[in-house]
Amino acid sequence: MTLADALAWIEGTAFAVTLRESASIWAYPTVLTLHTIGLAVLVGASTALDLRLLGCARAIPVAAFAPSFRVMWIGFWINAVSGVVLFTAEATTKGSSATFVWKLGIIALCVVNMWVIRRVVFERPAAPLDAGALPKLLAASSLALWVIAIALGRWMAYA
Amino acid sequence: MADLIVAWLKSTALSRLVIETPLMWPTAETLHFIGVALVIGIAGLFDLRLMGFMRQVPVAAIMQLRPWAAVGVLLNLVTGVIFFAGTPEQYIRNTAWWAKVFFLLVATLNIAFFETRYGRRLLTMPAGIDTPASFKIAGVVSIVSWLAVLYFGRMLPFLGNAF
Repeated sequence: MTLADALAWIEGTAFAVTLRESASIWAYPTVLTLHTIGLAVLVGASTALDLRLLGCARAIPVAAFAPSFRVMWIGFWINAVSGVVLFTAEATTKGSSATFVWKLGIIALCVVNMWVIRRVVFERPAAPLDAGALPKLLAASSLALWVIAIALGRWMAYA
Repeated sequence: MADLIVAWLKSTALSRLVIETPLMWPTAETLHFIGVALVIGIAGLFDLRLMGFMRQVPVAAIMQLRPWAAVGVLLNLVTGVIFFAGTPEQYIRNTAWWAKVFFLLVATLNIAFFETRYGRRLLTMPAGIDTPASFKIAGVVSIVSWLAVLYFGRMLPFLGNAF
């Protein structure tokens, strides 16, 4: 079974066919909207933390952002699940699209970046949380990677 | 009336520019989503604080992020005008678009009323104490209306029949 066969099989399952062909707003449109809400939650929480690490709103203690990671994971899982569901509906086109593969790769980098921020900034007991250049660098790369991920996601709808 | 507005908008140079420039639409959408992340990320933080979360942070400190929320609003207004000028017929009779505008107004009036009424108390509220019920209500109204704006925005092509 080649990759193309696997993608065609996914796209042909009853689940994928129903999702794709149903006229109900609770099918494809709602999953797509959940994907947008997850984006707002995940990228929104990440952006607020990144801005603080870059030196905005210094009156907010960096430590106060510790619960943000839970919010980001909630957004991430909403989008991982809704993303897989959306993928099934168009598995052959998305699965063979370079834009889609790039988008997944960039999102993987975003998640690694988020994890490194947590390790470097929040799990370092002695130093002030935002000391040094590294947190700023990580925040800047986080912002840049999310902008690229969003752009690739939008491009997928047109490519 | 709606037809006149559509006809006039479509005759403008901006409308033609939007329709004829390659990649204009996905570029504006990308910027619109970046604006969404800024607005929801920062308004969400502010609303959660009003609701009583993150009490160790003074409310006034979170308000320092607001210029960035304003950048998000500006990005979304500009790109919103681009969408509307490009294809006004997709929006002007679309129930989802009017619902989106309605919830934008609710979010704006909510924060305007709240700051007029409680602004001083808000700025001087120290860290560590729980927020009064009025703050919690304003926070919930805000977060719910922003999510409704997002919902009706994304559902524009599906809820209305104009697309």
